[in-house]
Amino acid sequence: MPSCTIDGIKVEFRDGDNLVEAAKRAGISVPVFCYHPGLSVVAQCRMCAVDVEKMPKIQTACSTKAVEGMVVSTKTDRVKQARESVMEFLLVNHPLDCPICDKSGECDLQDHSYDHGSAYQRSTEERRTYVDLDMGPVIKKNMNRCIHCTRCIRFGDEVANIREMVAIHRGNNVDITTVDGKALETDYAGNYADICPTGSLTLKDFRFNKRVWYLKKTPTVCEGCSRGCNMEIHEERNQIYRCLPRENMEINRYWLCDEGRFNYKYIHHPDRVLSPQVQEGNSWAKKDWFETMASWKSGFRSKDAVFLVGTDLTQEELQLILHFAKSEMGGVPVFHFGTPNLPAANGDGDSDGLLKRKSKTSNLHGAEKLGIAPFQTLPAGKTQVVVFRGGRAELPRLDRSLKVTGFGVFLQEEIGQFSAVFPGASFAEKTGTVVNFQGKEQTLVRAILPVGESKLLSEALMLWKNQSLASGAA
Amino acid sequence: MALSAHAGSETLYIQHFGNEEARGLQYYLKQMNGYSALKKAFALKPDQVIDEVKKSNLRGRGGAGFPSGVKWSFIPKTSDKPKYLVCNADESEPGTFKDRDLMRYTPHLLIEGMVIAAYAIGAKHGYIYIRGEYAREAKLLDLALEEARQAGYLGSNIQGSGFQFDLTVHRGAGAYICGEETGLLNSLEGKRGEPRVKPPFPATWGAFGSPTVVNNVETLCAVPFILQRGGEWYAKLGKLPNSGGTRLFCVSGHVKKPGLYELPAGAVTLRELIYDYCGGILDDRKLRAVIPGGSSAPVLTPDEIDVVLDIDPLMKIGSMLGSAGVMVIHDGCDLVRLIYRITKFYEHESCGQCTPCREGCRWMANIFKRILDGKGRLEDLDLLLDIANNINQKTLCALGDAAAGPVKSFVTKFRSDFEARIRG
Repeated sequence: MPSCTIDGIKVEFRDGDNLVEAAKRAGISVPVFCYHPGLSVVAQCRMCAVDVEKMPKIQTACSTKAVEGMVVSTKTDRVKQARESVMEFLLVNHPLDCPICDKSGECDLQDHSYDHGSAYQRSTEERRTYVDLDMGPVIKKNMNRCIHCTRCIRFGDEVANIREMVAIHRGNNVDITTVDGKALETDYAGNYADICPTGSLTLKDFRFNKRVWYLKKTPTVCEGCSRGCNMEIHEERNQIYRCLPRENMEINRYWLCDEGRFNYKYIHHPDRVLSPQVQEGNSWAKKDWFETMASWKSGFRSKDAVFLVGTDLTQEELQLILHFAKSEMGGVPVFHFGTPNLPAANGDGDSDGLLKRKSKTSNLHGAEKLGIAPFQTLPAGKTQVVVFRGGRAELPRLDRSLKVTGFGVFLQEEIGQFSAVFPGASFAEKTGTVVNFQGKEQTLVRAILPVGESKLLSEALMLWKNQSLASGAA
Repeated sequence: MALSAHAGSETLYIQHFGNEEARGLQYYLKQMNGYSALKKAFALKPDQVIDEVKKSNLRGRGGAGFPSGVKWSFIPKTSDKPKYLVCNADESEPGTFKDRDLMRYTPHLLIEGMVIAAYAIGAKHGYIYIRGEYAREAKLLDLALEEARQAGYLGSNIQGSGFQFDLTVHRGAGAYICGEETGLLNSLEGKRGEPRVKPPFPATWGAFGSPTVVNNVETLCAVPFILQRGGEWYAKLGKLPNSGGTRLFCVSGHVKKPGLYELPAGAVTLRELIYDYCGGILDDRKLRAVIPGGSSAPVLTPDEIDVVLDIDPLMKIGSMLGSAGVMVIHDGCDLVRLIYRITKFYEHESCGQCTPCREGCRWMANIFKRILDGKGRLEDLDLLLDIANNINQKTLCALGDAAAGPVKSFVTKFRSDFEARIRG
């Protein structure tokens, strides 16, 4: 590999690396605003100034390609001075509203100001202000905070394939806005907030809900489709506040669709079934696990039963169910369900040219790997169905005459025809493996404990198998 | 308008200015030996044309003064892409009004120059990007283009040479930044007029992602003369070793005879231009300051006007010849208001991409406004110099430098004016 020298450190770089990326390899962080590795280079914020030997002017690291033998310094006096001056310029008009800004604590402008800016402000002129427009349900715009980095414009243009963010007017009056002031259309709008280096574009959903420094971050995988985008769950006190994309260049690069980003909402949905329930007449009785299990089990006959498993379950859960069906239940047939009209993995495909896949669950490909057949029609003579579901898989239509039981995550409105429900763990409440459309095995990591009386599938099946042991323990 | 020539030396353009007949093809053919240079060029290989232009020491007349032949030679010979020739007729630098008369009175000179340049670089299509305000000139150019097409000087198989070239006049929408060559190209492509990151330079990635040469009107108008009479002849017209030909000086402000002056490059000093050619200061007042090369050129004091008016000598004393827009200022002028107005211009014209220019120009303009309003503070002056230094050379294009240079020079050289205004 070719190499250059940055701050006296010999750095090997890949051909085509710019100096921001080359410096990263040496553990040197060059401050940036407009630069984003997933977007084109515009070199306009001027924050990433570095000194390159034999070049008379300071250079912007983002637009300078590393060259064999190049000698770069990120710490000369004039580099420090240039960065301090860029910070000063950006703060001439930026409001000092960090205390009420959602971005505070994870704001590039704030961070770079601490690291590279001056503690004193010399500008006494009146700040520039804008009247903001509504940008639709996902993003809240606050143009006064904008530093004109144009990341959002380039994201729409280059990644989301939609030119909806634009710059209008000129110079100091530039307004970063939507075409004709329309609401955002893309289903990738959340990324606008992620890449905004300041609090100009924030998520309406997250707004004023939690200061970011209280959030605990768990690296996990989105369950929204068979791509398996890498993401982080941010929670505090067992409450999920948001999901953000996590870089994985082979799967989702830096991005996440809104469908996946907000998919977690069902976990804290007020209508989620959070305790075991039995339908008695026309109403639901909430009882404890042991009582419910005992009464339900007495009516269960394995020879009449079929297990339907959601392709939103993990490999471990599916294997457990397969084992349980075969060894403990004497061979109950198991079929998978998840996305209507998409029975098999070979029907899965790209759905929007970006990230989304046709399979709306995380583990269709894994279920198929385990040899589970898709659910089409009920085998003759079966009258009882047990549905195991993570929370995302779309429930199959079942005949009204069947006795249906649910294990997993359900909303009250979904269980009208069920006779009993045992609440289980969603993707955020458990750890396990899912297989994406590329055949990559990825790990869901438990971010919060199961909400309410929900139990992991392994616990639920243990109770089913050995009710007396469980009662005894209780 | 005053028209004048340097004693004993030849002028190329100015004798035709003011004569409406000059713009017709017949006049051009008969009185100016028109389109004969084209014939000579076609007899040469493209590289030989470029060599001739290199020999001429023709330097770009738009402001940067880059050697034109060298610029042409950067066009890759092996590229499969189409090549474009673009004439920068945006003439947006305040104080500059030479290209307007070239297009108004000698449009065929420009067309012939462009055909020759296109032949040299292998372009089949060219654009004249003309500033929106030049509506009349755009119309005149279109008429001249039609005349040239009818006579076979544009189109396919020009004059039986097998060479094909045509031109489109593209009107701008009134932005200074579209005179910057990559801002111009973006505007030409229908995008926001914002300068691009360089490299890649237009020679490899210009109009529509293809190799492109962008030349100023006056630069291209010199080309027929160079082909007609040889690069060496043109080089010798200039009085300095590396700057050939004549230059059109646009003199405005407080002189008795403002207007266009065509003089050999490097032949006169600023003092001579003001006092010998332009008749001295208006109302016989005292000279206070001169902006020698359009509003972005750092200002000169009366002590500095013995400088030879050309690219290198002016650069040596920290200013620039730019587009040769000489603005003369007498002692009745309020310099604080003047620099406020200049700064306000750059604030208004900044495209808004680069942080230092976008924020700094407004900040400086605000401070000047405050000083004018009687709310200035003495520490504002050092702050202004700091801001200007923080803009200078720290932006994508030269607009930042253009805004910073005047502020630095005015505040440094005329500091007492500002202090007096602040003290009230």
